[in-house]
Amino acid sequence: MSTIIENLKQFWFFTGFANATWQNLAMILIGIVFITIAIKKGWEPLLLVPIGFGMIIGNIPMFPGLNIGVYEDGSVLNTLYQGVKQGWYPPLIFLGIGAMTDFSALISQPRLLLIGAAAQTGIFGAYLLALLLGFDPNQSAYSYMALVPVIQRPIMLALTTKKERLIKMPAPRPVSQREKIIFPIVGFLLTAFIVPSGLPLLGMLFFGNLLKESGVTRRLAETARGPLIDVVTTLIGLTVGASTQADKFLTGNSLKIFLLGLLSFVIATTVGVLFVKFWNLFLKGDRKINPLIGNAGVSAVPDSARVSEVVGREFDPDNHLLMHAMGPNVAGVIGSAVAAGILLGFLG
Amino acid sequence: MRHYRIILSIAITFLCGLSLDAQNMSDLLIGEVLVENTSGIVDGYGQRSGWIELFNTSNGTVKFGGCYLSDDKSDLKKYHIPTSDRSAQLGPRQSVVFYTSGNSSQGTFYTNFKLRNGSTLYLVSNDGRTIIDQVEIPADLPADQSVVRIPVGVKEMEFKTQVNPNPTPGSYNGNVDAKTKSQIMKEQDPHGLVLTLIAVMVVFTALLILSFIFGWIGNANKRGKEGPKVKKSKKSLDGKLTPEIAAAISMALSSEFGGEVYAAIALALDDYLRGGVHDIESMVITIQPSSNGNWADKTQNFRQLPR
Repeated sequence: MSTIIENLKQFWFFTGFANATWQNLAMILIGIVFITIAIKKGWEPLLLVPIGFGMIIGNIPMFPGLNIGVYEDGSVLNTLYQGVKQGWYPPLIFLGIGAMTDFSALISQPRLLLIGAAAQTGIFGAYLLALLLGFDPNQSAYSYMALVPVIQRPIMLALTTKKERLIKMPAPRPVSQREKIIFPIVGFLLTAFIVPSGLPLLGMLFFGNLLKESGVTRRLAETARGPLIDVVTTLIGLTVGASTQADKFLTGNSLKIFLLGLLSFVIATTVGVLFVKFWNLFLKGDRKINPLIGNAGVSAVPDSARVSEVVGREFDPDNHLLMHAMGPNVAGVIGSAVAAGILLGFLG
Repeated sequence: MRHYRIILSIAITFLCGLSLDAQNMSDLLIGEVLVENTSGIVDGYGQRSGWIELFNTSNGTVKFGGCYLSDDKSDLKKYHIPTSDRSAQLGPRQSVVFYTSGNSSQGTFYTNFKLRNGSTLYLVSNDGRTIIDQVEIPADLPADQSVVRIPVGVKEMEFKTQVNPNPTPGSYNGNVDAKTKSQIMKEQDPHGLVLTLIAVMVVFTALLILSFIFGWIGNANKRGKEGPKVKKSKKSLDGKLTPEIAAAISMALSSEFGGEVYAAIALALDDYLRGGVHDIESMVITIQPSSNGNWADKTQNFRQLPR
C-alpha cells in the first residue's frame, strides 16, 4: 500500500499542478490574451496566434530534466528554437519577402531610401538607453515585432495632421522588366559590399526578388513566398513564444531588454515620421511625401509598410501607400544591417 | 546543347568539391614551441618535456590526422599524427599541444623526437611533402621560454614571432589582458553620443549613395527605352494626340476589329486574374495562345473518334 502511495506521490510531483508558479500562470494568461486579440480583433494573427500558443507551451509547469523544455539541450523545442538562436529563420523569411515584394516603387523613387536611414536612429536610441541602464542589448526583436501595429499607429496619428495624412503620392512610373531584374543583382552587390555583415539577410532578400522577377523561376518563387515562408513563420512564432518560459523571461534584465526594444520602435517610428514632415518643407506639389510612410523605415518587413497602408486608407480609402512604403521598408533592412555593421566595428 | 549541359554538370560538381575542401590543413599554424621545460606544464605521465602547440587559424574545424611533424628537412615524415584518432581535429581558433617526449608509444600527442635549440620545426601536410608551416628555434633560447606566434592586426590573422618568457601552452597567444573594443569605447564615449552621430552619418551616406546609384540606373534605363530621337513630321502635330486623331484611330479600330479588341482584353484580364499569365511588365498583360484551349475543337462533339 505504501508503495502505491509513494508512486502516486511521485506522479503528483511530475504533474504541472505540483510545479506551477504564479509566473507560469501569468505568462499563460498573456498567451491567451495574444490569441484572443488575434482572433477577435484580427491583429497580426499570423504572428500572434503562434506566439500566443508558444507562450502557453513554454510555460506549462514541468519537472526539470525531462528533456522537453525549450531551454533543455536536445529537446524537440530546443532543436526548433535553434532557428531563432542561430539565426536560420530570419534569412528564410527574407527569402519569402523578396519573392513576394514588388520593388517598383523603390526603383522608380530611390529618394525614399533616406526615410529608412532616418528610422535607424531607433537602434542608436536603444543603444544610448542601454548605456544609461548599464548593459548591452543583444536580444532578438521578434517578440515585440507582433506589436508593431499597436505601437506605430498612435504615434503616426499623434505626429501628423489630417491634411498630411491625405497627401496622395503620384503612382510610381512604370518600371521595365529589365530594371526589375537588374535591381536585385545590383542592389545586392552594392549593399553587400557596404555591409558584408548583412549578407545572410540581404542575400536572401535579393535572391528571393530575383526568383520573382526573372520570370523563369516561377515555381521556386511561389514556394519561397508561399509554403516556405508559412512554415518558417509558424516555427519562428511558436518557438519565440515558447522561449518566454517564466523563469528565464520574467527576470529584470529580460524585461529591460524587452522594454528597450519597444522604445527603439517608438523612437524609430517618431523620427521616421518627423523626418518626412521636415523633408516635405522643401518639397512642392506632387513631390510631397505622405508622412504616414515614415514609420515604414523600421525594418519590420512588411509589417510596418502594411501599417502605413492601413492607416492611410482609414482616412482615404483610395489612398494606397503600401507600394510607396515598401521603399523605406527595404531601406530599413539595409540601414539596420549598416547600423549593425558599425556597432560590430566599434564594439565587437 | 548537350555539350553545354555536360560542361555545366562538371562545373557544378567541381564547385561542390571546392566547398568540401574549403576548410583544410593549410589553416593550421605552429602557435608556440618550448624546447626545455623545467618548471612548466606536466604531461599525462607526470613528466616535463618540451612541447609544440598547433593552432587552427580558420573559422571551421580542421582535421590534422595524417599530418607530420619534423625537425629535419631531409626527413619531413619524422612523426606521423595518427589518422585513426578521432581527437585529431581542431575547432575554430582552437589549439592543441604535442609533447616532444621522444616516445610516440605514449599516445597520439607525444612525438618520437625531442626538440633542440637552433633547429627548425616543420608542420607537414598529409602528402608528406608540402610544408604547411615552419618555426626556427633560436640557438640561445633559454629554458622555460617559448617561441610564440602572436596575432596582430585588426583581423588577428597575421602573426609575429617572438620569444615569450611566459609560455601559454594550449591557450590564446595574444594579450589576454588587453581591453576589449567595447570597454575602450565605454571609456572614451561614456554616453554613446559620438558613436551615435558617426553611425547615423554612415547609414545616411550609405543609403544616399544607393539612392543616387538606383536613380542613375533608372534614368539610364528610361533613356535607353526612349531610343534615338526621330525627326517628327509636321503632320503629326508635334506628336500631340488631338481629338480628331483619336477619333480616326477609334473608327479605324472599330471597322477593322469590331468588338474583338474588347473581347481580347476581357479574355486577357480573365486569364491574368486566374493566374494563368505572368505580368512580364508593369501595367502590361500578355495574351498568349493557349495550347490546351480546345473550346472550338470539333472533335469534342464526337461520340467516337473517326477510324
